Amino acid sequence: MVLVRVPKPPKSAYDPNRPMSSLLRSQVDHLQEAEAKLPLQYCSRLYAKAIRTEAEAARYIREVTEGIHRAHEDAARSRKVGKAPARRRVIEIAAVADERPHARARKRRAAKGKKTSAKKKRKK
Amino acid sequence: MPAGLDKLRHIVVLMMENRSFDHMLGSLKAVNPKIDGIDANAFTNPDNSGNPVKPLPNAQFQAQLQPDPDHHFPAVDLQIFGGNTGAGRQPNMQGFVKSYFNQQRDAKHSQMIMYYFPQAKLPVLTTLALEFAVFNRWFASIPGPTICNRAFAHYGTSFGRVDLNPIYPPGTIKSIYSRMINANPKRTAKVYYYDTTSSTMEVANLLQNQPELFGTYGQFLSDCKHGDLPDYSFIEPNYSDHQGDSGEEVANDQHPDHNVQAGEVFMASIYQAIKNNPQLWETTALLITYDEHGGIFDHVPPPSCPKDIFTADGNATGTGVPFQFDRFGVRVPTILVSPWIRKGTVDDRVFDHASIPATVTKFFLGDWSPRSPRETSADIFIEPQGAAVDPARNVLSLDTMRTDCPDFDV
Repeated sequence: MVLVRVPKPPKSAYDPNRPMSSLLRSQVDHLQEAEAKLPLQYCSRLYAKAIRTEAEAARYIREVTEGIHRAHEDAARSRKVGKAPARRRVIEIAAVADERPHARARKRRAAKGKKTSAKKKRKK
Repeated sequence: MPAGLDKLRHIVVLMMENRSFDHMLGSLKAVNPKIDGIDANAFTNPDNSGNPVKPLPNAQFQAQLQPDPDHHFPAVDLQIFGGNTGAGRQPNMQGFVKSYFNQQRDAKHSQMIMYYFPQAKLPVLTTLALEFAVFNRWFASIPGPTICNRAFAHYGTSFGRVDLNPIYPPGTIKSIYSRMINANPKRTAKVYYYDTTSSTMEVANLLQNQPELFGTYGQFLSDCKHGDLPDYSFIEPNYSDHQGDSGEEVANDQHPDHNVQAGEVFMASIYQAIKNNPQLWETTALLITYDEHGGIFDHVPPPSCPKDIFTADGNATGTGVPFQFDRFGVRVPTILVSPWIRKGTVDDRVFDHASIPATVTKFFLGDWSPRSPRETSADIFIEPQGAAVDPARNVLSLDTMRTDCPDFDV
């Protein structure tokens, strides 16, 4: 059996500051479109139009890719548990403030419903 | 049924970036005359003054093809037809130097587009080509850039695109991955991108909708080791130099101006990951191909082919002339690896990237509809199991598995 030697690239091959190619530019553009469809908490907070180098492109690509994966993982988790995905703390506080009156109203409606049906039963 | 086909359980496809057949494998004609490589006395390209430029074995791993040779539709049209835009024109492959000259107006620099690698500089790709099966007539699907060509490998069509813009499939024609996981009985398929920092070129369609189909290269290595490889795997290389979790990651896609040796190491590591698991090695076929030629010379004119149901209008092509997807792009290096392939196999049949979903569909799922006209007319490179196999078409032809396959020190 033949063993073939495979030379490794030199250290100098690594150049993260190389201007990004049109291919990487298009990958960034694609991910920007994908990111636009994501809920805010999964977005990258990086300005894609300012990206010039491979390292900058790589950073953006990683953040959006991971964001998309997180969004899908959270959705899958909540599907199993049967509730909406957990929000981040800051948003959670605002959400609780928003949701309390609705929750109270729901409870009130539910309680009212019980009373009405109990009254109906008694009448019968 | 031939033993190699009977044993086959996994098809793995690695698609690299932007190198032509002659540029990478052209030197092998001197070793195996059946390989349709370079005859430097028979093929030249005119420079901007009309002087003939011969192919030369001077290709470097990096820092040579700067700027990135143009490979958008109008440039590839010039490369293939030599600048002839008249009716009834025939491809003559006479426009590579002209096209590269257009980018810098530097006559000497433009000649570098005719450089190729001598065999010794690419020990992995050339060893695999000589040891297993090389395809003499595997063309890019479109005379254009990456995204639309890669789409043919995933869908068997680019849905009318000839450029780098995102592709949003209308839904009628499913990707090969969707076909596999929705089949009855269900099949398994995965796209392994290098890491999340390199990610995938199949952004809009797959990553957005089906993240369970994606894995990293690290997972591929683990799946090989533990025998968990899906029925069909598609591997994407690292598209950028970046800081990874384990340090500096050099792009290994071989896209100019990325280092070609890094791609060699990557190919060798994929081959070894499969070969190091004896059970997997026995049951796997690995196809190594390139999405398109990247603007680099090749001497074989791409033939015409049955048109697709889509048409790119004159604005989209950038030439003012509509394109009906009735001609292939430039030839790319493509190799099929399996211990069931006779050493030195050279296949002269015509293929393009639509042959990938065509083969995988036929092999794992049988008949499937709807598919694009380009895919249904594409030839398959692995014969389906169960059917009567024509020996002339079966590349995995050996009765007993080879034990003399090479190893790489990666």
